[in-house]
Amino acid sequence: MPAEYALSNIWVGIGIVIILFCIFYYVGWMASRKTASDEDFYAAGFSIGPVTNGLGMAATWASLATFLGVIALILKLQVPFVYLWIQWAISIPLLTLLYGTSLRRMKAFTPATFIKQRYGKPSTIVIVCWMILIMIMYALGQMIGLGRAFELLFGVPYNTALVVAGLATVGFITIGGMYGASYNAAFQMIVMTIAMIVPMGAIMKAMGSSGWWFPPLAYGDMVPDMIKAIPTFFDMKYDFRWYFALIPAFTLGPVALPHLAMRVFTSSSVKNARWAVVWFALFLGLLFSGTYVVGFAGNFFTATTGKVIAKPDQTILILNVFYNPTLVAAFVMGGALAAGLSTIGGNLMAIAGLVGSDLLGIIAPNMEANKKVKWGYVALAIGGVMAIIMAFQPPKFLVTSILWAFGLLATTATPAILLGVWWKEANKLALIISSIVCGFTYIIISPHVLPAICIGKGLVAKLGMSGGMVTIPLSFAMFIMLSIIFNRIPALNGFAPSLEDKMMIDRIHGWGTDYDESRYNGIIWPMVIAVVCVGIFFWGLVPWA
Amino acid sequence: MKEKLYKKEITLTIVFSVLLLLAGHSASIFILFPGLQTGTLWGFPTQYIVPILLGWFGIAIICLIMTLMCNKFDDEMEEFVASLPESETDNTH
Repeated sequence: MPAEYALSNIWVGIGIVIILFCIFYYVGWMASRKTASDEDFYAAGFSIGPVTNGLGMAATWASLATFLGVIALILKLQVPFVYLWIQWAISIPLLTLLYGTSLRRMKAFTPATFIKQRYGKPSTIVIVCWMILIMIMYALGQMIGLGRAFELLFGVPYNTALVVAGLATVGFITIGGMYGASYNAAFQMIVMTIAMIVPMGAIMKAMGSSGWWFPPLAYGDMVPDMIKAIPTFFDMKYDFRWYFALIPAFTLGPVALPHLAMRVFTSSSVKNARWAVVWFALFLGLLFSGTYVVGFAGNFFTATTGKVIAKPDQTILILNVFYNPTLVAAFVMGGALAAGLSTIGGNLMAIAGLVGSDLLGIIAPNMEANKKVKWGYVALAIGGVMAIIMAFQPPKFLVTSILWAFGLLATTATPAILLGVWWKEANKLALIISSIVCGFTYIIISPHVLPAICIGKGLVAKLGMSGGMVTIPLSFAMFIMLSIIFNRIPALNGFAPSLEDKMMIDRIHGWGTDYDESRYNGIIWPMVIAVVCVGIFFWGLVPWA
Repeated sequence: MKEKLYKKEITLTIVFSVLLLLAGHSASIFILFPGLQTGTLWGFPTQYIVPILLGWFGIAIICLIMTLMCNKFDDEMEEFVASLPESETDNTH
């Protein structure tokens, strides 16, 4: 891949990466000494404190895209993409509020642990399959990015870069389990925040901004020049439906991301899970604001210097090579790697949890705890190696934007989790039908599989915004309506929630042994939600501009 | 007591869900009310900087209030559960 970005001294870059990997392996090795049970391996012994977990949450959420793809899209779409990105910050707070603390009470390892207890084995297989597909897409995207970053940094062929970077990454993640993933993610968040923010101060100073002392928010004095150079930069460009479509696809999708939920579950207590979310919002806001200023500076750079950035995803690197010393540019590259590694760590831990704990729990329910841990290690390593192998020649469908996959998750898994936690009538068969039907509908109406059958066009279709606005409300409405119908058909009694299922709902909300049939029950409000969802469904079908 | 706690849980969940959605999607408000797309703050157009500030400090403040209120609610819930006759220790905490 021809690079516009090149370090003047490659050994500086190699040195930074080796130092970072030594730290990651040391943390992983230290963590492995603490891992003695499946609780340790999948949930870090439910022991992670709020600040560490807040950092870890932010790192797991902020992927390689934060340094590369997002900045490229801000360069392309300008301010609307900033709005799209801002709303990611509510994902983990919403997740924690709506089900994270409830599932932490039941000591779940993944959201599928809850699905298994609430809906039974067939439903779990359906949800786990969707989640694994999305986690593979996620990890694959990060792995490809990692290979390309190494290729850029060291000037080696992509395949070599992929094997070296991939195996080195899978190695430290596998050694450390969730303890290692948590502590490494916290460290990686510090690295990536410094790498994003501090060098931008020097760049802004060189660009003539007096706000170099606080890059995330103090570049207002560059705005007049920006408007002069790019008058449309701050235009909101799209209609209200475009902005509304962010909610079903990009807010409700990440709410069900297993690797984010697992971060909440590792908290040392339910209360500390909430405190972690406060830290998460502060840390992630700082990093994301740094991303916006890089996007702004990239646009400013091209508009005021007349230079063209042919590969927009290298914007942060190009700016640093142009304005900063080699050592700083290499450290920024290290920050980008840290962003990718923290997300891969989360993805692989989620795959390990879904396969090693949830699926294996169905196949071999009586397996001893120490064997479960061994299988967890195996699932983790195999997941990582598979991601490396697929990244050589990735199947076209799997390298579709991960943003598109969020819509798929919101369609297939979010209703199962949210309605399962908040509504006792949620029916097992209704879940299976709505998840499968709406999931495949989402795939079919996307431009990635059958372009002739597509809802929306252009970017809204590619990112799954238009498709998600159809299938996500449809999935909620179908799940609710079918649950109400199926629960009233005697022949389908086996799929109706049992008393045990309902008691579990009260218990995870904190009611202990107190059970009340009327709590989280009834059909009026769910039907209101279903009607609203049907309205949104038809709105989504209106042709997109 | 039970009814009050239940209503409080539902209210907290709905209120904070709405607040988080508003803070994360505040750009939509500027589309709905284009008249708000005037003026500047710290040199930035308001429709740019306000969503960024709400998406950072706004969400953090909402999360802080949410944490304080929900943790207090948990205390009340634990008090209620402890007051139950034949209350059993379970694995939910």
